[in-house]
Amino acid sequence: MSGRARMILLALAALTILPGFWRVAQSLPAFGTAASPYGEAINRLGPELRHVANMVSAVNFDFRGFDTLGEEYMLLCAVAGTVLLLRGARGEDRAGHAGRVAGRPHEGRSDAIVLMSRIFGIFTLIFGAYVALHATATPGGGFQGGVIVATGLLMLYLGEGYERWRKLIRPPVLDVCEGGGALLMVAGGLLPVTMGRPFLENVLPFGTIKDMLSGGLMLVENAGVALAVAGGFTVLMVEFLEETRALLSEVEQGQEP
Amino acid sequence: MAVLLAALLLFAAASGLGVVLTRDPGRQVFALAINGLVLSLLFFALQAPDVALSEFTVGTVAVPLLFLATLAAVRINKERR
Repeated sequence: MSGRARMILLALAALTILPGFWRVAQSLPAFGTAASPYGEAINRLGPELRHVANMVSAVNFDFRGFDTLGEEYMLLCAVAGTVLLLRGARGEDRAGHAGRVAGRPHEGRSDAIVLMSRIFGIFTLIFGAYVALHATATPGGGFQGGVIVATGLLMLYLGEGYERWRKLIRPPVLDVCEGGGALLMVAGGLLPVTMGRPFLENVLPFGTIKDMLSGGLMLVENAGVALAVAGGFTVLMVEFLEETRALLSEVEQGQEP
Repeated sequence: MAVLLAALLLFAAASGLGVVLTRDPGRQVFALAINGLVLSLLFFALQAPDVALSEFTVGTVAVPLLFLATLAAVRINKERR
């Protein structure tokens, strides 16, 4: 398409969309105005109904728990699809480190990097576990905690290199985390069904507000999300980093340092 | 606070524009990471720390890493052919 035709198409599209866009922009609430009525109602009723301090978690895992279940399975499908697509580049012919781009100087890892990533990697893992565990008390939750755990594992990769990292990270364990987390969510949702109540109804004792163990069934759902997200993101990282491995034949030919 | 928010919004727009205007994919990944960092600061200033945490870990760490690994794999495979 020529530049001129492209500009005409852009002008036509802008002419069609702009009036609607203007109308929507005009009827938006002003920046910084109070929350929506739904948010207000949740903030007012939530702590009383569910003994939970973090209303975002209450919405995610209880009031709209079914939506989160759907999102969880979207993540599961996306990770499964990635693993299926990238299954080719693994096997016996790969070396234990990444391939090199010719002409680019390669310096080994410095001790400072190894030390820093060991220290901060461990602290990141602990912080991730903290965020995931305190889902109903402080901001954060299973998703955030799970992703932070995955980035902590990535930090260990920076320090240890591929070979040692893979000795630490076992894909079967990650698969169990990913699938088991999703299963735990459904099992948690089915628990009230076995008692003759609706799916995902919060039947467990709520506990005390601002306590780590408050929220009843939310804690089960949250644990499921944390496991599935930590497992899923780490599987993604393993699969993508697998793609960059050097071939053993290249190492033997001396193309690799 | 209003000044901080305005500055962060402008910075978010500028860094987003930077992602679009960067042509080299390798540099674009870092522009994207900076955009993620600015967005997570913006969410933090708007009192949504949990969203800021997600944006930071996904937008600044996970997605740029996947792009970097993909770019590296593309370059390594190009050399093999």
